[in-house]
Amino acid sequence: MRILCLGNELLGDDAAGVVVAEQLRHLLPADFDVDTTNDSGLDLLDHVVDTNALVVVDAVQTGASPGTVHLLDEDDLPSVCGASPHYVGLNEALRVGRALGLSVPAKIVILAIEVGDTLSFGAAMLPAVRAATPVVAEMILENMPQWS
Amino acid sequence: MEQDIAAQSGAWQEGSARANSEYIRHRITLDPITRLEGHGRIEVFLNEQGQVDHAYFQVPELRGFEKFSQGRPVEEMPQITSRICGVCPTAHHMAATKALDALYQVEPPPAAKKIRELIYSAFVAEDHALHFYFLGGPDFIVGPEAPAAERNVLGVIAKVGIDVGKEVIAMRRHLRDIVAMAGGKPVHPVFGLPGGVAKRFTPEMQDQCRKVANEAVEFAKFTLQIFEEIVLPNTEYVSLIVSDLYTHRTYYMGQVDEQNRLNFYDGRLRVVGPNGVEWKKFGPSEFMENVAEHVEPWSYMKFCYLKPIGWKGFSDGPESGVYSVAPLARLNACEGMATPIAQKAYERYISTLGGKPVHHTLANHWARVIEMVYAAERLQELANDPELTSEHVRNLPTATPTEGVGIVEAPRGTLVHHYKTDAQGFLQHANLIVATQQNAARIAMSVETAAKGLISLDHMDDGVLNKVEMAFRAYDPCHGCATHALPGSMPLYLRVHNATGETIAILHRDSKGDVKRD
Repeated sequence: MRILCLGNELLGDDAAGVVVAEQLRHLLPADFDVDTTNDSGLDLLDHVVDTNALVVVDAVQTGASPGTVHLLDEDDLPSVCGASPHYVGLNEALRVGRALGLSVPAKIVILAIEVGDTLSFGAAMLPAVRAATPVVAEMILENMPQWS
Repeated sequence: MEQDIAAQSGAWQEGSARANSEYIRHRITLDPITRLEGHGRIEVFLNEQGQVDHAYFQVPELRGFEKFSQGRPVEEMPQITSRICGVCPTAHHMAATKALDALYQVEPPPAAKKIRELIYSAFVAEDHALHFYFLGGPDFIVGPEAPAAERNVLGVIAKVGIDVGKEVIAMRRHLRDIVAMAGGKPVHPVFGLPGGVAKRFTPEMQDQCRKVANEAVEFAKFTLQIFEEIVLPNTEYVSLIVSDLYTHRTYYMGQVDEQNRLNFYDGRLRVVGPNGVEWKKFGPSEFMENVAEHVEPWSYMKFCYLKPIGWKGFSDGPESGVYSVAPLARLNACEGMATPIAQKAYERYISTLGGKPVHHTLANHWARVIEMVYAAERLQELANDPELTSEHVRNLPTATPTEGVGIVEAPRGTLVHHYKTDAQGFLQHANLIVATQQNAARIAMSVETAAKGLISLDHMDDGVLNKVEMAFRAYDPCHGCATHALPGSMPLYLRVHNATGETIAILHRDSKGDVKRD
């Protein structure tokens, strides 16, 4: 099982996934597969293959209040449309992986933290977003048996 | 201080309580329209007669880089800037490293330059391949008129076949392995140091590079063949390339070697005019004398233009300082390619499109394939260079740092890093000029032309969204780079305002890729 945490610690609330990863690394055995990246586009392909179960932690903006945690699965993601690496995301990487017969896990759980600003260098995370990070880490630990 | 901590702790607990209570256990639908402010948008303003007055294209940009960098040791910049963007970290790493060479006035030894260029060529070949097949492909492999549901990366795989799709992914992985092996890490390379590189090339590394380079050249030739077999016979697509909608007669910039041949890694910038004649050639230290940034009240974007010619608004022609970068611009700015297969492909491109300069924006896709061939051939040349394994890969800097500009041709166009430091090497000023800023004026012109042709108060053709998108997709503009954040796709919407500024329609895509109007 792999826990894939997406985010960029330099960009305000976009650090949320990275912070969750740090917490998980303290809570899980050292050899547990916790993967952190700010890759985007089809480069995410490298991070979703060759594992039997995948939990993804990412930032999301749906208009809910910051710090809200959404539990999603792959079907909740909009389908393929992108035509630039800047428009291609997790869902496209998963679909391309499957279309090419690569080893992509059948079930994927996504924990998305509602965020505010993800475009400001060196900005602090909103307290509500930071506060959501241990909640997400705990949720993963609690549900690991059924998600793996 | 204590109060601050108490306030922070209160906020923490409040946030934690809210996070727990608002942990949503039911399914939600991620609608891209909810991310209006975070993604690309086109604003169309109608006049009192209901015709398009102006149309603007905006992309979100990262903020606060200048302030964030101030006071940091300048040596951190290759690492920090490579984390800016999840799409082209190697380009930022390389531009930053070259800016450090300039800042410390130190010339890397020949082997270090070759190692850098080898890594950079692998990166460009990989990025261009991925772009051609999976990102530009929906427009011209699947076709601009194909149903929206097929005009995507899966449609491309269906058209070229799963085996080719697999080969693209395998090639990409091999090229990334080279960047990882020679650059330290695949995503955020760590090899660049002022005056050289951190790691020598061993004969084993050279063997692996040779093998991958040979594969890359074969793959690039095959890709060129696909382009020539699938795209060129499609007269509809070719007539779209040359249509007025996507044609602007601007200046073009690209980096060239001493014989005016394209070079991604090093050289001087050559600018040609709308007539194709050289306007100027200059080195990195002269960049700031030749380029200025124009600001518009409606956008936080800065529009680059050629300073000596001046800003004359969003217009083309020799009197206007608007210029562009990226593959199309590079092939216009150079006089040829330094490798044989790419040179042949370049000649065919020029003759098919009616001679130089090529002013058709959509030709960027073809130009990108030719550049991919060049990057692969250059990789092969460097992989066979005996000097690659030299032990001398760094000259130690001894000069006091002051100011430095580093330039590379990123896949999306000329990338400029400009740093100023104090005598101890702490940053006082850092400015990055990315391709999108340099193409911004030309992109704005394309969007406005498309909007004028297709929109009025009585007529809002839903097809406008794809036509307008095609205009700027060809440049592949950089967006604010937190774009892995979900939903991660379909970020574009188009908003139409009437003469009093009121929003009267919003066009965007739904989750099936169909255009919706709200």
